[in-house]
Amino acid sequence: MPLLAVKKVVKDYEGVRALNGVSLQVEKGVIKGLIGPNGAGKSTMFHLISGMEKPTSGNIAFRGVDIAGKEPHEISGLGMGRTFQTVQTWGNMTAVENVMVGMHRKLIGGILSCGLWLPWIKREEKEVLREAFGMLEFLGLSAKWKWPAFQLSYGEQKILEIGRALATGPELILLDEPAAGLTPQEVQALAEKIQQIRERGTTIFVVEHHMGMVMEIADEIAVLNHGELIAEGRPEAIRDDPRVIRAYLKGTVYA
Amino acid sequence: MVERIRREFRKRDLCYLGALLLLPLIWPDPHLHHLLVLAGIYAILALGLSLFLGYAGQISLGHAAFFGIGAYTTAILTTRYSVPTFVAFWASAATAAVIAYLIGRPILKLKGYFLALATLGFGEIFLVMVRESRSLTGGVSGIFGIPWFSLAGFSFDTYLKQYYLIWGVLLGLLLFAKNLVRSKVGRASLAVATSEDAASTVGIKVAQVKVGVFVVSAAFAGFAGSLFACVMSTASPEAFGLSLSILIVMMVIVGGMGNLYGPIVAAIFLTWLLDILGGYQEYSLPIYGVILILLLIFFPEGIGTRLGIRLMYLISYRGRKKKREEVQL
Repeated sequence: MPLLAVKKVVKDYEGVRALNGVSLQVEKGVIKGLIGPNGAGKSTMFHLISGMEKPTSGNIAFRGVDIAGKEPHEISGLGMGRTFQTVQTWGNMTAVENVMVGMHRKLIGGILSCGLWLPWIKREEKEVLREAFGMLEFLGLSAKWKWPAFQLSYGEQKILEIGRALATGPELILLDEPAAGLTPQEVQALAEKIQQIRERGTTIFVVEHHMGMVMEIADEIAVLNHGELIAEGRPEAIRDDPRVIRAYLKGTVYA
Repeated sequence: MVERIRREFRKRDLCYLGALLLLPLIWPDPHLHHLLVLAGIYAILALGLSLFLGYAGQISLGHAAFFGIGAYTTAILTTRYSVPTFVAFWASAATAAVIAYLIGRPILKLKGYFLALATLGFGEIFLVMVRESRSLTGGVSGIFGIPWFSLAGFSFDTYLKQYYLIWGVLLGLLLFAKNLVRSKVGRASLAVATSEDAASTVGIKVAQVKVGVFVVSAAFAGFAGSLFACVMSTASPEAFGLSLSILIVMMVIVGGMGNLYGPIVAAIFLTWLLDILGGYQEYSLPIYGVILILLLIFFPEGIGTRLGIRLMYLISYRGRKKKREEVQL
């Protein structure tokens, strides 16, 4: 059974069909890339999978559970994390607090026990702080743990966002253009980091425009164009696929 | 470095506490004591709203209604059913919290202007209900003869005693709020305020967080209302109108969003300002308005925040780098 199975998903936005019957699967333990020209429907696909939007028709199964129509927090609870195309870190919180928010569900304290700062809340908070710091160490941000997130560089904020998603303890993590806006060195570091995340046992589904990086890290790539899946397979095969080349060439001519 | 700043802040807190304890004794003026009592009550209100407005980023223009619910609960329980004030005090907060939960579930789905209008409507509905259900609330004239707050036979019957009572309650609630803010509830609130989408994708139930903080802030208002009824010994509808709701919002904004001390400072300042401007009769409101506008222009982050940052500069020569840290401590 694949970890994530998208079946014949259609999404309409008031007369525009963003996705037209797309089916794809993500197997456990792989890094899967999703590419395609601008407006191909990649981000729409991610919004549907993470529950931020509902598909018009079709179904999406995650770990065997139908998640089309579930709320984002329920899907997160099933073990899925995601990042956003434009960073959405919480600037007024410190780096470590951003990661701690990701561990929200692990903390069982309620409003009264938190307000009274009962001894077990204190222990729980300490534990989570240590864990979050460990996450920052893994991501190479531990030196700036107490920095407000808005003072971190754009690249660091993107990494921090990945850390926050990882803090929820996901089986599958959706990365929406993690390399966009990064310097070449940062992209290289990110590629290594993504491979390390996979080694830790998290499956990765990544939308990316940075071809070099996708080709390097992905085990499998799916290509969308005008809301339809035009190719799926190993990176080498995708690189030479005439339909993919045509879709991208057309894109560049008009761009 | 961080440890040193922490120590400094602890020292500073102790200084404030000492000043609060001694202030009314050094200045034995009943009028001042009365003003401080009022300021303390407003500070409790502002502190509660600060959690909702300053942290969770949601607007409420009906907070005076929860204040009123607290006051009327105490008034009715003590005058009609001879319930001890101490019990009525807790019952007031509980009533405000329950009503906040019931109305919060549906209306907190709204955002921004719509939420502002819905809470405004709630405030008005509360006033109409109070005026019309005369048998219970005494209608427009209200309820008289509410007993002084008393605890184990000790009656808080002078302004001085009430001052210690109210500032003691405020201190307790401030500690509660501080703990809340540094726990998962505070983090989730800030997360929801900045990006609901991002918050929900890490598993935060956005609606639950909003309702939870709304209930806490209403309970604070309930406590404040109960104390207000005991101090004034009356409860009548005109005290709980829209102008009070707006005053509380002003206190939070002038004090600084995402800050707990600021709204308290602002509550004292605005109460004092309204009192001295009272002598200028018809000019008082325009002067008040101009002062508020000047404050918002020169202290857009709130007086609490700026004062905090200034102190950080003095304490730490690396203040420039760490100026935001004060909020986290």
